[in-house]
Amino acid sequence: MPLVNLTAREITCKLVYYGPGRCGKTTNLQYIHGRVPENRRGRMVSLATQSDRTLFFDFLPIELGVISGFTTRFQLYTVPGQVYYNATRRLVLQGADGVVFVADSQARRFDENVESFKNLQDNLLEQGVDIRQIPLVLQYNKQDLPPDLILSPAELDDTFNFRSVPSLPADALHGTGVFETLKALSTVVLQRLAARPPSL
Amino acid sequence: MRTIEPWVERPLTTFVAEAQVRVALLMTSSGMVVAQHGFTRSLDVMTAAALGAGIVASTREIAREMNAGTFGAVVHQGPRLGVYLMPFEMPTGTWIGLAVFGPDTSLGIVQLFFGRLVDDLGRDAPREAPARQVLPETFEDDLNQSLRALFGR
Repeated sequence: MPLVNLTAREITCKLVYYGPGRCGKTTNLQYIHGRVPENRRGRMVSLATQSDRTLFFDFLPIELGVISGFTTRFQLYTVPGQVYYNATRRLVLQGADGVVFVADSQARRFDENVESFKNLQDNLLEQGVDIRQIPLVLQYNKQDLPPDLILSPAELDDTFNFRSVPSLPADALHGTGVFETLKALSTVVLQRLAARPPSL
Repeated sequence: MRTIEPWVERPLTTFVAEAQVRVALLMTSSGMVVAQHGFTRSLDVMTAAALGAGIVASTREIAREMNAGTFGAVVHQGPRLGVYLMPFEMPTGTWIGLAVFGPDTSLGIVQLFFGRLVDDLGRDAPREAPARQVLPETFEDDLNQSLRALFGR
């Protein structure tokens, strides 16, 4: 649940990027880090292995600005995608206000996307959260690859978008769809907050 | 000092003064900042909270894997500064305290006064949930405007 400081009029939301290994979660955060003005972001922390694979999480705090008198901040996290890091994925997912599921659009990675999506569902359920209830946005990354190697957004929607949530094609390496994804999730999370009174 | 709830300020101020710590941070188990002393930039506080919550979460997970119940405080002692990290239970769930201390105090002192801080917080915590407050009607319009301004789309 977003943390709302009614005294100092601040809102803090935790947003988690989830998906299989090498789908582009860290790349999303790196792009955001590179483009958001320095006074609106903190340092990007990456707890990574020597080969730069995410070991625990990446973390990037950004400040959205003042919304209706509330200074609004987002804590952006990624989870490690490799199957064997499920324990750390569960920890990072704890208390998430919204999730971006980053799918790798390559046809050969389809099964890994499905496995990761099921894993997201299981890990949310373990925390008592129904995947049909939490704010969710789907990002279909690597749509810049040759068409014969990838699945189209419509094909991926058929599998993953049973809730008709926002889904966006992306090329995170070059920034296409990165801000659109974050904007879509921010909107859903904060609209939900506006509809439901805040609490500590 | 900045706090989410006014009642946290007094016990935390007392802890900082008595334990002589340089930085003190209270956070929820998911890394949300509840109160802080000693940071100059709010975004840096969030990073410290995320890392502190991550350390405690992974330590608890190791304890669970080893059937060791729960571990207590986590302490890192460097040449100049030490870090003390301790989860504790509050009526609203698990909170975590993080204190950074220098040579002008000691781990024993920090531990002693942290215990008192936890007692004070437990005693001062409101027994009922705080009154809820609805966000302004203009919230959604303002939100869209802010998102456009930050992301330029």
